[in-house]
Amino acid sequence: MAEYSVVGHRIPKLDAREKVTGRGMYTGDLRMEGLLYGKIVRCWEYAHAKVKKIDFSEARKVPGVVKCLGPKDVTQRSYNTTIMKLLVPEAFSDVFGEIADLYVFNGHVKHQGDAVCGIIAKSEEAAERAAEKVKITYEPLPVVMTAAESKRKDAPQFTALKPGNLAANFPEAFFPGGAYGHNAPDGKTAAQHMKEADLVIEETFYCPRQKQVQMENHTYIARYDDRGRLTCWTSTQMPKPVQNLIAELFELPLTRVRVVQAPVGGAFGCRLGMIGEPHACALAMAVPGRPVKVEFLREEDWVASESRASGHLKVKAGFKKDGTPVAIDAHYEVLKGGYYTHGSGPPFCTAAFMYGMYKWQAMAMRADIWFNNMVPYGAYQGYGNPENTFAVEQIVDRACNELGLDPVEWRRKWHKGIGDDTWLMGVKYASCGLDDCIDKATRAIQWNKKKKEYAKMKGRKRRGLGIGVMQHTSGAWPMLLEYTNLVMRLNEDCTVEMMVSVSDLGTGGHTAVCQMAAETLGWPMDDVHLKCCDSDCNGFDIGAHASRTIYCVGRTVTQGAEKLKQELIARAARNLQVKPGDLAWGEDKEIYCTWDPVKRINARQIAKESIYSFDDPATGKTIGIPGQIVVTSDDFVKHCSPPFSASCAEVEVDIETGDVKVLSFYNAHDIGKAIHPPSVEGQLEGGSQKGFGYVLTEDIYYDKNGLCLNNDFTDYKMLGASDMPQEMGAILVESAPDPVGPFGAKSCGESALMGPIGSVANAIYDAIGVQITEAPITPERVLAAIKQNGGVKK
Amino acid sequence: MKKRSITLYINGEEYTITVQAHHTLVHVLRNQLNMTDVKHCCGRGECGACTVLVDDADAPGGRKPIDACMVLAAMMDGKKITTVAGLEEDGKLHPVQQAFIDEGAVQCGFCTGGMIMKSISILEKNPKAKEDEIRSELEGNICRCTGYVKIVDAVKKAGSWSTKR
Repeated sequence: MAEYSVVGHRIPKLDAREKVTGRGMYTGDLRMEGLLYGKIVRCWEYAHAKVKKIDFSEARKVPGVVKCLGPKDVTQRSYNTTIMKLLVPEAFSDVFGEIADLYVFNGHVKHQGDAVCGIIAKSEEAAERAAEKVKITYEPLPVVMTAAESKRKDAPQFTALKPGNLAANFPEAFFPGGAYGHNAPDGKTAAQHMKEADLVIEETFYCPRQKQVQMENHTYIARYDDRGRLTCWTSTQMPKPVQNLIAELFELPLTRVRVVQAPVGGAFGCRLGMIGEPHACALAMAVPGRPVKVEFLREEDWVASESRASGHLKVKAGFKKDGTPVAIDAHYEVLKGGYYTHGSGPPFCTAAFMYGMYKWQAMAMRADIWFNNMVPYGAYQGYGNPENTFAVEQIVDRACNELGLDPVEWRRKWHKGIGDDTWLMGVKYASCGLDDCIDKATRAIQWNKKKKEYAKMKGRKRRGLGIGVMQHTSGAWPMLLEYTNLVMRLNEDCTVEMMVSVSDLGTGGHTAVCQMAAETLGWPMDDVHLKCCDSDCNGFDIGAHASRTIYCVGRTVTQGAEKLKQELIARAARNLQVKPGDLAWGEDKEIYCTWDPVKRINARQIAKESIYSFDDPATGKTIGIPGQIVVTSDDFVKHCSPPFSASCAEVEVDIETGDVKVLSFYNAHDIGKAIHPPSVEGQLEGGSQKGFGYVLTEDIYYDKNGLCLNNDFTDYKMLGASDMPQEMGAILVESAPDPVGPFGAKSCGESALMGPIGSVANAIYDAIGVQITEAPITPERVLAAIKQNGGVKK
Repeated sequence: MKKRSITLYINGEEYTITVQAHHTLVHVLRNQLNMTDVKHCCGRGECGACTVLVDDADAPGGRKPIDACMVLAAMMDGKKITTVAGLEEDGKLHPVQQAFIDEGAVQCGFCTGGMIMKSISILEKNPKAKEDEIRSELEGNICRCTGYVKIVDAVKKAGSWSTKR
């Protein structure tokens, strides 16, 4: 393995110090002259209603109120919060049926928390008091919560753009039979080929509506200045695409829209696109010259920003007696929520990641996505993969149990690998470290020893072990556009300004790209300065999603650094009057001729002369080569190098209370190369907390009127410090470096969520012999399942 | 709205200010005194992001952690308060701050300030605090990024720090 001087090292993150001192400034910490405060007035009373009348008369009387804005006072254009349509050809958007069904202020309230109107005031408090005094007359509409209610012929219609309330499915134009998958070698469909199976398991899984719950409340500042430029300070994950969306929404050229990406206080997919930017900008346009701040309260997060997709995933899977995976045929009935946003994106990925994992002889998954009066779903780490993992990993263990096969060995035998199709048909795996991951995870948890120990437990507390494997992606090609543009400028003192719009969500992306640049240049970290987070000086970059930062931006960065070095070599060659191929890099930026080391020049001299360019008074000739060295690098990566992982969980189930405790957990992740190991571990560890939450405690609950019951930290239960297992290990597996990723690296940003889901569900099954197919696996569900099965079976 | 004239001693400095009677300490710190090192998140004492330390003769170590959103500023008249910004001495970080950096316990950083203040109080109460106690005491501080793993590692690492202030 190569020895690197900065890549792979456990250096402190660039932003760590300002965060521990409290000097890191999030959007809400910014102070500006003349700042006004905006409040979005939302419908809290109803999940479904028409707005009949908005009466601002009392609100206007509140001291400090500057303006009250109704739907007609802001842009009339409709929009979609996501950037997805920018990342696919226009024809695709049409075929997939993307619509723009959202307005800044909505007259048809489609979920509790929908934005109805806005207030601008001189203080937050005045804005809140005025918001309370706005009299809105609603005409309640029948509430639609389930798919069954949504698809009824007499169901209230959500949008004229989608008659019948089917928000999306997999269009026939791209998916024969409306299914993602492939037929058996003899051409039979998955349903037909199922007949070849000796064992068929059919099960319906409930997949919960998990919420990202980043700690920083959604906060925005927008200002429409005296030059007619609209600036928006935001912690979006995708600053450049959002710049495009804002420009479109407010009908401005890009030159008049600036997006400043403030430090992001967590995102996890919630901020993949826009949330409050349209509102903050609309309010700012109403008070030209004045900055307007809009800060969400915590209770708004669950009702006014997108969640994970949820619904019922019905899976039928067939196996031969020897375990051969014959066919898998699935149908995901998904609850869209009130607005289209990501459409079929996450359910498509549920199907795709189902396809990418095991060697099914035939596969088909359909999805029907129905509008309902819940918060709309958008993106959340995993983007459909958690649902796939929750269902299929459990089905595999059930099949192994019924066929008398070992679940670890079954996975070893039947997982896809190099040369097989990834989640996207036609794109083949180029690296796969899964076998090594399985080895390391099972060894770390002492699989064989504990399996024996727990095989015949009695009493109230029952322990079990479970394994869950997964594959994900690094970047979204070819499903979506992958493009990053970078400019590297060599300063007069031979240090580098690197201008690239790279999003760091706390994930360590800023640090890692500097490590990669410094390593490629062969220069110290201090010699690289990253200028990002400002659309005024950054070229296009997608942003942080689909676990693309290290892989895609990293490639662009290393390619740019190589180009910079080549330019320096080219100038050195002209200077020394040799060929570029004759030169090599020495210590401390020295360039020397390999066949005559006396011929040498330092890159610092080249940098200085490129700018401070003078003519020799004696000869009249220019000294050195003039012209500042500026290189651009574009990368349209054409792969997605999926990472794999194997997770093992040990749980203890209290069969009297139904309580499940995770005792130990190991996640071995096929990272290829860990650029910044503490950040990779951090992603795996943090992702585990969310994965445990998905499978054990988290869901958004609504009452029968569609009103949210748990939009707070107390009732939306996430695992806290004492709930997390004390014995936990993130194992970085670097034995399968990727040929496409920079330094062999693959992603980890989303992967960590999936492993815990499969392994914990399977550990519970191992502990009590009963499989629970509804997540989160709450104590109530554990007890109900035990009761229904007539007791604990082991 | 009733107003009160109060004096707060924050990070060793004296602030005599007029506050609205109904304003919480976190609101006054952030919006009146521009002390944005104290973060605002849930506003109702569930998440700990706004944790500060208040001198209290009865508390172990002489000060106790509170959620600044759960007290009215007016109730803190005369109190000595330490926020994240007050930890550094002459450019030298508090051992807990340094441990958070060294252990990689900082991701998005939004919970970090409150988490550090609570961690200090845990160690002032019991410098030899073991994992069970650390985790139990940190229940009131929510983090969504780290899974608490490196945070607990950082607190353990800083645990050898002396209680001398």
